[in-house]
Amino acid sequence: MSSTNSIKIFAGNSHVELAKLVARRIGIELCKVAVIKYSNQETCVTIGESVRDEDVFIIQSGCGEINDNLMELLIMINACKTASARRITAVIPCFPYARQDKKDKSRAPITAKLVANMLTVAGANHVITVDLHASQIQGFFNVPVDNLYSEPSMLRYIKAEITGWTNTIIVSPDAGGAKRATAIADRLNLDFALIHKERKIANEVSRMVLVGDVRGKVAILIDDMADTCGTLALAASTLKENGATKVLAIVAHGILSGKAIEVINKSCLERVVVTNTIPHDDKKAVCPKIHTIDISATLAEAIRRTHNGESVSFLFSHAPE
Amino acid sequence: MRNIVILAGSSHPILAEQIASRLGEPLGRVELSKFSNKETNVEIRESVREKDVYIVQSGCGHVNDNLMELLIMISACKTASAARVTAVIPCFPYARQPDAPYKRNGAMLSRIPKNAFFGYTFDSTPVNSMPPSPSVETRDPFTAALSRIEENSSSSSISPTDNNRSGHCGTQTPTNQFGGYKHWIARSGTLVANLLTCAGADHIMTMDLHDPQFQGFFDIPVDNLYGQPLMIKYIKENIPNWAQAVMVSPDAGGAKRATAIADILRMDFALIHKERRSQHQPHKSDMMLVGHVKDKVCILIDDIADTSITITKAARVLVDNGAQKVYAIITHAIMSGDAIKRIQSSVIDQIIVSNSIPQEDHLQQCLKIRVFNIAPIFAEAIRRMHNGESVSALFNVTDLI
Repeated sequence: MSSTNSIKIFAGNSHVELAKLVARRIGIELCKVAVIKYSNQETCVTIGESVRDEDVFIIQSGCGEINDNLMELLIMINACKTASARRITAVIPCFPYARQDKKDKSRAPITAKLVANMLTVAGANHVITVDLHASQIQGFFNVPVDNLYSEPSMLRYIKAEITGWTNTIIVSPDAGGAKRATAIADRLNLDFALIHKERKIANEVSRMVLVGDVRGKVAILIDDMADTCGTLALAASTLKENGATKVLAIVAHGILSGKAIEVINKSCLERVVVTNTIPHDDKKAVCPKIHTIDISATLAEAIRRTHNGESVSFLFSHAPE
Repeated sequence: MRNIVILAGSSHPILAEQIASRLGEPLGRVELSKFSNKETNVEIRESVREKDVYIVQSGCGHVNDNLMELLIMISACKTASAARVTAVIPCFPYARQPDAPYKRNGAMLSRIPKNAFFGYTFDSTPVNSMPPSPSVETRDPFTAALSRIEENSSSSSISPTDNNRSGHCGTQTPTNQFGGYKHWIARSGTLVANLLTCAGADHIMTMDLHDPQFQGFFDIPVDNLYGQPLMIKYIKENIPNWAQAVMVSPDAGGAKRATAIADILRMDFALIHKERRSQHQPHKSDMMLVGHVKDKVCILIDDIADTSITITKAARVLVDNGAQKVYAIITHAIMSGDAIKRIQSSVIDQIIVSNSIPQEDHLQQCLKIRVFNIAPIFAEAIRRMHNGESVSALFNVTDLI
């Protein structure tokens, strides 16, 4: 590396595994930091090495105890800023509160904007994230935001792990995700279908309507988040009713909260593939349908290129090995 | 009152209810919950457009969750065009982590677990290998505490050295000849102040801030109300023979607070002081009493009781020195961990706390606790702030209650 300062990677408590993978890819060790709680539940951050004039990357995902992890991230950023770091980049694989990004009801808070303000006020100079729920969230920040895509990794997974992928059909489980799904379908030269929630009257249960033909094909559902998995399970049964032979789901952020595992186990989904932006080893132990795509290579490459001042656009269409 | 809305966070709804009923206003309707993935969900169910909004949230319980909730509520009100948003925070979170390098009267709040730094040596080799020039470094108490933990495995609660002792204690911190990096704790005080301001708060109201200089971290006005008038009222009404009692401060840092009350009530004053035994074992300290308490009723006074180690040890010292009865008056009774059990088995006869932090559970577990209500002071302050009147009258008048 030709720059005079070095990369320092700190990991918060939310996803230490991913941080270790990223550090190993870059070829360095994680930096020493202790993040614990005082007895009255306040967070305490102790930085174990000098960060003066260094390029600091703090890896913390918005998952698990989100508010605690967010406070940890803010305090770590602030600690590095008051320790005279040259540049602080917040690497947030799954951005917290990303779904509260617009005022869709009276007096609804735009919490994503609040989180963006908080990160900037704490002292972050740069933000790297993966598959933002709405890419317009980049506009909430005044600092540069790199919104990496998991699409190249998903494409590689489909080509490598799904036998007979040329005869599959890409399906979006709702109208909002159509753009995402068609992008993948075009890259792979596959057919596309869409599931649409039809609301008849206000109090009646809405039906799911399939737009497109899935008879005799393997259907791949593509979405950005899988939280309670109600939508995915319902979409899978609709596809099966309409003649799909198998249904798989590929999701960027596998939040899998609440009863998600039960729902997946009972559903007719054959496989649910998630990236490791959110730790889910404990869920994999109880649900054999869950598979993982490793995006630590993408993150590591983005960090390396950011540090060296090289272009990151390569990562928007290629997944590093 | 017109154009006022009082919203309650989920940390202390009872106090918010009492404040609202003192003001004669109903609480504003707000729904607070968590999404399935633990994100906080705030829905404000009535209009706040062009209104004066007061959000009551205390920094207790799950501090980070309550802080996020408060920030989101402030932000929601701001984007809903509220005229002014005031955050009413009876017990201010992260107040004990200001930017000052030393905590003068706080013990370390919990032990750093032995394996937190497992495998770390905390040496950093600088780019140029010249050893650093010898500089006069004030010793970081946290470094000392950590090195003590690493050296001896059974240490009791560790307190940082006092300000004026920093140069004299001779404990060796492990450093190599390159002058290894000394790790330090992050101070989150300014960060929390900045977060509240960036969320959109226009005004902060709190009580008995641990560090009054904290007000300077904000660019917006901060009203630091005093619990002292309520404490004086309680003493006069409930402690028999209070004029012959002795006001005691459990540590040197709180002396100013205790003498202020002692002067108003014309009582005697005493102080408990942690004296270091030897220079080589600074974590073994003796608590020394300065003053006379023999055959007297003692009233210990402090602002925060977290693990209650300080206050129970102080009570023991008083009884050993002949005190007849020991009361304790605390503003913020956080009582985390096994503090309640410690109080129950201590020699304190009665501990009087404010309800800045919900005390319902504590009252059931410990019969020694009495609670004085701070809702009237907050209600009066909110009323005066809303009407644009002076709040200074609250700082010494007790008959408003």
